[in-house]
Amino acid sequence: MVSDQLLKPATPEERRRYYREEWDVKDVPEFISNSVQKREFGFDHMGRGPNHRYKVFRNMDLLRKFLRYRAPFAAYSSVAFYEKPQRRDGWIKSELVFDVDAKDIPIRECGCEGVCEVCLNQALEIISSLIDTLKGDLGLKDIHVVYSGRGYHLRLFDESVMTMDSDVRGQIVQYLSGAELPRNEYAAEGVTYKLEHFTIPFGYPQVFTDRTRYAILHLTPETQLDEVNQKLLKDVIKNRELLEDNQWGIFRSKIGPQRFQKLIRSIASLNMALVDAKVSIDLKRILRLPSSLHSMVSMKCMEVKNIETFDPFKEAVPKFVYERKS
Amino acid sequence: MNKYSICMVNVAFINPFSDEARQIVREYGNLNTIYQENGDLIQLVTRSPSQDISDEETIPHNIMDLALKRIEWYVKKKNNPEFDYRKYSYLYNRNITNFDVIAFYLLVQAISVKFGPNSRESRVMVEAQGKLMESRMGELLLSEKREILGTILNTLLPGEVKWTMFADLLSSRKIKLTDLVLDQGNIILDKDYFMENLGYKLEHRDPGKMYDLLIGDKIKELIINRMIMQKTEDYISEVYQKSQRQVEPNPILLELADNVTEILNQPMATYGYRGGATGKVEASPLNQEAFPPCVKIVLEGMKSGGRNDAIILFLTPFISYARLYPDVFRRNTTLRVSDVDPELAAVEKEILPLIYEAAERCTPPLFEDQPQEKVNINAKMGFGMHSEIELKHEGETTWYTPMSCEKVKLHLPSLCKPDKTCKSIGNPLSYYIRRLTDLKYEEATSEEPG
Repeated sequence: MVSDQLLKPATPEERRRYYREEWDVKDVPEFISNSVQKREFGFDHMGRGPNHRYKVFRNMDLLRKFLRYRAPFAAYSSVAFYEKPQRRDGWIKSELVFDVDAKDIPIRECGCEGVCEVCLNQALEIISSLIDTLKGDLGLKDIHVVYSGRGYHLRLFDESVMTMDSDVRGQIVQYLSGAELPRNEYAAEGVTYKLEHFTIPFGYPQVFTDRTRYAILHLTPETQLDEVNQKLLKDVIKNRELLEDNQWGIFRSKIGPQRFQKLIRSIASLNMALVDAKVSIDLKRILRLPSSLHSMVSMKCMEVKNIETFDPFKEAVPKFVYERKS
Repeated sequence: MNKYSICMVNVAFINPFSDEARQIVREYGNLNTIYQENGDLIQLVTRSPSQDISDEETIPHNIMDLALKRIEWYVKKKNNPEFDYRKYSYLYNRNITNFDVIAFYLLVQAISVKFGPNSRESRVMVEAQGKLMESRMGELLLSEKREILGTILNTLLPGEVKWTMFADLLSSRKIKLTDLVLDQGNIILDKDYFMENLGYKLEHRDPGKMYDLLIGDKIKELIINRMIMQKTEDYISEVYQKSQRQVEPNPILLELADNVTEILNQPMATYGYRGGATGKVEASPLNQEAFPPCVKIVLEGMKSGGRNDAIILFLTPFISYARLYPDVFRRNTTLRVSDVDPELAAVEKEILPLIYEAAERCTPPLFEDQPQEKVNINAKMGFGMHSEIELKHEGETTWYTPMSCEKVKLHLPSLCKPDKTCKSIGNPLSYYIRRLTDLKYEEATSEEPG
């Protein structure tokens, strides 16, 4: 068992070993290698943040040599494609990205300090529900999942969204994460009808229902929610199993309509933190390079081919970790 | 029934790309008649409800006139707050449909041939068409509107309306992604599609009724409006491509195109630097005394962490709009920087220096470690992602409107130190206008003797 050797920072010697003995340029996903000339690269050599920026590589072999030779603390590449990446000029388009960091999940069952198996698993569950919405509602394709070392990145290469601006990306985040309270009044022919989100089994109301149910089912007695006092939280936890088979109507009447409204309003603002919106709306962000080493936790950042079976503690642990002396 | 008593709305009145409209074009005879005094047209115009006929200038005498009036209507409506719609009532008169469709095609062809798709004239044509459709829809009875929307929707193929086509509507918040009913990337508008693909999921509810509730008229109208604008744009490109292969364009079209340019040049000359006496706020040199607390904080310089957002997303839109277009929220029309500042003199001499100074005062100075952020400043003023501000790039990005107070609280909470004026406004720019008026008033009253 290697658990006590895991998640410790890598030494410079371990970094060198990783890039020389274990890392292979073929591990860099094709979505990077086929656009290497258009991207800006960034490196962190000392563990003080990626301040070596504006780096460009004409081909993968130069990137290979650089990583072998420098064995950086961390390596990044831009989500943006540029005409002149060395000046971050001539922006062409950017991947649409979503960053789910395990330590920032708004309601964590584990309550651990950093990241652990439980919250990483939770992050993967969230990623999988985001993918469902991206495909089913938004009809987007060409989606890649990357294990970042402390969570997951979703990277989209669907041409129809790559030129969209920050505002639209912000709205996509809201849609996916269920961060906006769906309207509950609909008018037709001058008459207004009340329709709760859980009575509409498609579109955004459905997404909101799913995310909200997920949040409520993961609440712990310690969870802090604006507008939700201890009494309400207790009642929610007591009655929440109704939601497991979608008995929202009964759940709502047990809680009381006013308090229900408070609850979902509060959950909506909490949902906003499911993904890091700052990452999604930043058209020039640099993201950790898949295949590179996350030296802080000694884990490989890597593309996840099958999210059903992926286990970071099996697949993303570099060899040198197993050889550490305890 | 003669043609003056038609009371049904022809779909061509709203959609110039409908079969009905194409039929009108096919049946229209000789192009040379568009210059001839047209008695039928004049009669329709002068008999339009609430039409002002006191000034002969306002009455189009032939189809060529009508075409120009369509553009003039849009430009005046957009730039002149005292726009008098009674001078153009005939444009809302459904009985002019036949002439209107011909005028539309003349305009598009003239503009495409002379200026091509990436011109100011083309942009105005597309926007004018969108606005005209919107205004005409607003005049219809609800039942007529529904029928027209239904007819147009039926001509679209189900699954044709991808949400990704409407990035600009989303970006400008005219529609919200969460308000659309989406399935497999399509915006659900068509009733049959809804019934077939989503309706069955509903329990204990009548799917037909749910369709009426969930897929509102407003969304349909916006989407259709945008699609017609898109088709206008595509058609301009198409005509332009074809015209490149022709030797000599029709002189009638070239003349019409020149007249369009003339109309566009008029308002630019009068809008911008005039003093206003009607309560509207014109572009004028900045008065820093009237800046809200949040702007003052940024001008003093930000610490590392919030620098980029404060300078790029917050300050740049605020300063540029405060200087050039303080009335943006009240007038609710989109302008470009060069519409107000055609030589970019205010941009170069007043706006950028102020922003650069604020960037310089940051710790560490923003451009010292992130010189590329200058490009983002240009982008936020609509000049694309380029290191220099140049007119040819204008429009590649949008001129960002100033963040609302709500957004400031979300993104830059440290800036929000409200004073008593803040309580009554929702946007830092409104604060500026409010304080400007107050200051003017204080000045005026303090100058009074005694």
